[in-house]
Amino acid sequence: MRTDITMTTTTQPIADADTGPAPGAVLSVRGLRKDFTLHTIDGRTVGALHGVDLDVGPGEHVALAGTSGAGKSTLLRCVYRTYLTGSGHIWFRTETGESVDIAALPDAEVAQLRGHEIGYVSQFLRSQPRRSVLSIVATAGVARGMDREAAHDAAAAALRQVGIDEQLWDMHATVLSGGQKQRVNIAAGTISPPRLLLLDEPVSALDPANRAAVLDLIARLEETGTAVLSVFHDLDAIERLATRVVVLGGGKVLATGAPEDILRDPSLPLEVAR
Amino acid sequence: MSTPVPLAPPTWALKVEGLGRIYGDPSAASLAGTGPEHGTAVSPATGAVVAAWDVDFDVAPGEALGIIGESGSGKSTVMRCVAGDEIATAGTIALRGVDAGTTNIRDLDPSARRRLRLDQISAVYQDPAAGLNLDVSAGGNIADPLTAIGWRNYGRIRERAAQLLSRVEVPLDRMDDPVRSFSGGMRQRVQIAKALANDPPVLLLDEPTTGLDASVAAGVLDLLRGLLEETGVAAVVVSHDFGVIEMLTRRVLVMQHGRVVESGLTDQLLEDPQHPYSQQLVAAARG
Repeated sequence: MRTDITMTTTTQPIADADTGPAPGAVLSVRGLRKDFTLHTIDGRTVGALHGVDLDVGPGEHVALAGTSGAGKSTLLRCVYRTYLTGSGHIWFRTETGESVDIAALPDAEVAQLRGHEIGYVSQFLRSQPRRSVLSIVATAGVARGMDREAAHDAAAAALRQVGIDEQLWDMHATVLSGGQKQRVNIAAGTISPPRLLLLDEPVSALDPANRAAVLDLIARLEETGTAVLSVFHDLDAIERLATRVVVLGGGKVLATGAPEDILRDPSLPLEVAR
Repeated sequence: MSTPVPLAPPTWALKVEGLGRIYGDPSAASLAGTGPEHGTAVSPATGAVVAAWDVDFDVAPGEALGIIGESGSGKSTVMRCVAGDEIATAGTIALRGVDAGTTNIRDLDPSARRRLRLDQISAVYQDPAAGLNLDVSAGGNIADPLTAIGWRNYGRIRERAAQLLSRVEVPLDRMDDPVRSFSGGMRQRVQIAKALANDPPVLLLDEPTTGLDASVAAGVLDLLRGLLEETGVAAVVVSHDFGVIEMLTRRVLVMQHGRVVESGLTDQLLEDPQHPYSQQLVAAARG
């Protein structure tokens, strides 16, 4: 097996409308397929994505909708490379304007992109053990190129913004409540915003007041030019934040369009009642 | 082996290509019938043990790479070959700090190889006795690599030893006590301080917390995480414990029966393992 992980650059091939990136897009997913082969359960294969195409431009917020099991989180995880892609391309336009295929990029280069240019906020804060709240957020800023002092100040500002009480800042994140963890997570994800931010149900555990504060924070990402690809549990959040909605079903794109059109279309299988 | 020095230095600090270690008959005849698909590292033809074969990886400054696998998978053999504790049967091991990565350090004579351990590549072992002289004081153990590269001023050596011990949180009033009188966790901290004495660009960690009590292990892990973040050292972490690998590394190799069966980002390996053996390991660790 090949374990060559030398730094190389995967550049965009001759432009191809079917497989190449869209001009100007930060993220272009083309023909993405993903199966899981479960060797520990008699080698069974479970299909998850069956050829997904989508684009996200700078400052654009694309929300994924669809019923549970439609492949929304799987798609986010493929883009972040927590899941390996079966086939297809995940084109990402880097800061330097180069298109790289995350599906085929060497691990070390994906690791670099994750620190600097691609952020992921999951439903659960999977923080490292014994790390303080302030350090989690500040470390994310340092990873995106801030100096330590600036990152510390920005982390403090971000934590205030999402309503995390100052007396919790030096505590280990593991002792926080679910909602507090989620807010720490979003503060870390949005400090010095990355070029592409993946949000997987980032407000699912929040009470209405905190939810509103976090949605405000996400709404302001548009001004920084961050491309956002999200999964939200509730259609209100989608309506408020999304510039475009992509409906997934059975691992395929069923529909794409403006939130006001998609969310009012009774024929589409959306998770929550309208 | 010497080739012209490239114009740009390599981006990696350590690069290993085609590394192999066979105990017994080193000929190609020993390879057949070994590896994961045969379920053994022992050659049916020659009886040789193919402890590691065809292992490739590189590590950049400031990066940590994990090697995971169960006992006998070959992960510690790889580490000992890179450290120079054993001579690899095959392959290339290059350090950016040695002739800009153009020399295969496997070809160096034993004394040149030992010198690399002073300031180019350090190792921390599971058993502190492997990296320390237990009958010598903590300060004396750390002074060893310093005097070996030419430090002579007693005051400066004490100062550097004190600085390192305080970085690894060993109380300075224990500096002159023999390491044998230290607890397991403290011995491990002294071993780490000694390994960092000359700021090596490459640090090898072999099961650095295995055998320590959970709370002591947690303290040593936190220390290592902080050091890896601050120093910019390139680290290779060998462990059978996913908790250690997950906390310290971003990329990982999985070994079984002497071969690498999978490599990937650490979270990908945990969330979407591909090889049957990786899936078994993750299922066992995650329950």
